[in-house]
Amino acid sequence: MQGYFNTPDTHKYSVILPTYNERKNLPVIVWLLAKTFTENQLSWEIIVVDDNSPDGTQEIAKQLANVYGEDKVVLKPRAGKLGLGTAYIHGLNFVTGDFVIIMDADFSHHPKFIPQFIRLQKAHNLDIVTGTRYRSTSKPYTPDAKPGGVHGWDFKRKLVSRGANFLADTILNPGVSDLTGSFRLYRLPVLRHIITVTVSKGYVFQMEMMVRARALGYTVGEVPITFVDRIFGDSKLGANEIVSYAKGIWVLFTTV
Amino acid sequence: MARAHRVAAVATVVVVAYLLTLYNFLSVPLVDAQIAEQILAVLPWWLLVSFGSYSLWSIGKGLFTLRETPEAYQELLKEITEAKNDLRTKGVTVD
Repeated sequence: MQGYFNTPDTHKYSVILPTYNERKNLPVIVWLLAKTFTENQLSWEIIVVDDNSPDGTQEIAKQLANVYGEDKVVLKPRAGKLGLGTAYIHGLNFVTGDFVIIMDADFSHHPKFIPQFIRLQKAHNLDIVTGTRYRSTSKPYTPDAKPGGVHGWDFKRKLVSRGANFLADTILNPGVSDLTGSFRLYRLPVLRHIITVTVSKGYVFQMEMMVRARALGYTVGEVPITFVDRIFGDSKLGANEIVSYAKGIWVLFTTV
Repeated sequence: MARAHRVAAVATVVVVAYLLTLYNFLSVPLVDAQIAEQILAVLPWWLLVSFGSYSLWSIGKGLFTLRETPEAYQELLKEITEAKNDLRTKGVTVD
């Protein structure tokens, strides 16, 4: 489908980056995104939704806006830590593109996969393309996808992740191999629609988005990605997360 | 109707059919009555064990096939250094 933007690709891609204490990571992820978009001649913008980080993330965002342009790096802060789901809703108010990319700002999601997401989206006119750590080919198949995988996970982390995905897959049958991943490309109206009906928070939020997408009849493709666990800072996964995840699956099972 | 309701509906039908057969209100076609009785008695356990095996196999296979990607890590480290050097020359504060 043709877009209405004045680039070879005719579309504009808006990245929504929710941040909290990411002053170390933000400049690098913006640099990587800018490089990817420029090399592929795509029209782009990055909406930084910062939850009033005390470490000066916003100051860095302003410096980046000076370098790349205020139309490219758009800072839209919020008053405090209000959660991931509402960060996307907040960011969506300022999106000017027709596609939205959501990803983590800690470079566990590498922007180099975005062109593959876009190619798959175009080839099959998909509503959503999601990154997956668990597949070696894309779905639908394309020859240019390389096998996905993870770096920096110990055995326990792998087991929990595999178990969690197996549980969700068996109970909810969402048709997507990586439910807890959060590196995705959405058509703007599709993201707006799904996010308004999504109620969960935390880990379950990303999973609910996929389950809702399927229930609403949207088409979803998958591209294998390599996932390098946070280099700076800790990623959190404890007993509390596992319990709330299991509860989340139950809620989705009984409501969607 | 949520997925839970659909699953519950199918499960109810299956359980009722199983119980009716177990207590001889329905007969099993094409199988000798005595053999059918022996099979029916252990069928739930057989299903349970099968599902358990499938789960273990599924998770085990998933663990085994989950790739390690040290090359992606090395590439990323290089890019981070490159990015920081470039951003410094452009006047962005990087730690």
